[in-house]
Amino acid sequence: MVKIEVLGTGCAKCKSLAKNVDKAVEELGTDAEVIKVDSLQDIMNRGVMMIPALYIDGKEIAVGRTLSVAEIKSLLDKSTTSD
Amino acid sequence: MNVEIIFPPLEAGLAALLEYLSAHVLTCLIPAFFIAGAITALLKKDTVLKYFGADANKCVCYSIAATSGTVLAVCSCTILPMFAGIHRKGAGIGPAASFLFSGPAINVLAVLLTARVLGLDLGAARVAAAVSMAVVIGLVMAFIFERGGVSQKSAPQAPLIGADDENGRPSYISPIFLALLVGILLGATSGFAWQIKTSLVSALILVSAWMLKTYFLEEERSDFIGESWWLARKIFPLLLIGTFVTGVIGYFLPVDLIKQVFGTSNFAACFVAAMTGALLYMPTLLEVPIVGTLFGYTSGVMAPGPALSLLLAGPSMSLPNMIVIWRIIGAKKAGVYILLVVILSTLMGMIYGVVA
Repeated sequence: MVKIEVLGTGCAKCKSLAKNVDKAVEELGTDAEVIKVDSLQDIMNRGVMMIPALYIDGKEIAVGRTLSVAEIKSLLDKSTTSD
Repeated sequence: MNVEIIFPPLEAGLAALLEYLSAHVLTCLIPAFFIAGAITALLKKDTVLKYFGADANKCVCYSIAATSGTVLAVCSCTILPMFAGIHRKGAGIGPAASFLFSGPAINVLAVLLTARVLGLDLGAARVAAAVSMAVVIGLVMAFIFERGGVSQKSAPQAPLIGADDENGRPSYISPIFLALLVGILLGATSGFAWQIKTSLVSALILVSAWMLKTYFLEEERSDFIGESWWLARKIFPLLLIGTFVTGVIGYFLPVDLIKQVFGTSNFAACFVAAMTGALLYMPTLLEVPIVGTLFGYTSGVMAPGPALSLLLAGPSMSLPNMIVIWRIIGAKKAGVYILLVVILSTLMGMIYGVVA
């Protein structure tokens, strides 16, 4: 199962990333666990400097910007086929 | 309903709106969105980020804190974890406060629009005042709250010019690309004859497109376009609607009253302007029509001093922002920070009023 973490505090960009992740997972039908990390303390403790941030299986994918549904889908495809 | 009271304010709103839909503004805004998109998507932040944790020279730390907001992010909430991080684990409250203030104050899009619509002098003053204020705010905060000495947290020192970054691309490529984008903006907004302008801008666009194709990966290219478009999509409609609304409200605001309050650059005018800026929530870029159209800076009603005070205190302070900061650094520090912003914005306005 793929672990996807969306780090963000609720500003427009963060909500946008969360929405796109949900949509991508739904459209692909991936077996994914989507975790939304919205406590600034937690985000900071992980050493993440800018939000929104996306982590897939513990690996940093994007920091400080949002991703489109298409981009997220292609990333998920890559991570599931490379196992 | 009396038709005569509906149309004039709507006309005023429309007039304000059309001013912002003009070639004059668009030749600045469109390249500006691309520049902002490039900063968000293409510029590698690691070099700058690493400076904040190191037990670096105080001078370097504050100057970086006061200016890096420009190159790190365009959306002000993006850097909140960084602010929290600098405060708790890195260089401390001083540089964190500098960083917090300067980000929105010297937002790339806002500064470009200010210079274009309100004049180069006010745009330049905004940048100069914001950076100096950021440093002063930081130093004062550090002085008040870190009497026990600045915490020395060490982090790996980063060389100023890095070697090739992870995509095997020399680290000077991104800045050059950014410089080209700035060149496009300068060319498009210049006063040259249109033949020279179009050839210059087209040439620069071709070179940038070539650089994009040659040096950047496909996903970076789509990130860049995506970010620029996202920013434009989010900010531009709001700017237009906001401008229209300021035009309408401006119609009802008595010019004499504005002139009385903001007509000179004395203490009262600047202070009221700073307070107004601090209290009023201003979406990105809207401080420009608020100062220019609503309070009449463009038509000479508002004096340069209060205009600058509003431009300094407005963008950096908003209720949602303040609440988050309150939670991160506590009521006392947040209170001092807010006070410093208002006082210094007033002061900067007064100084500019004398100099302008």
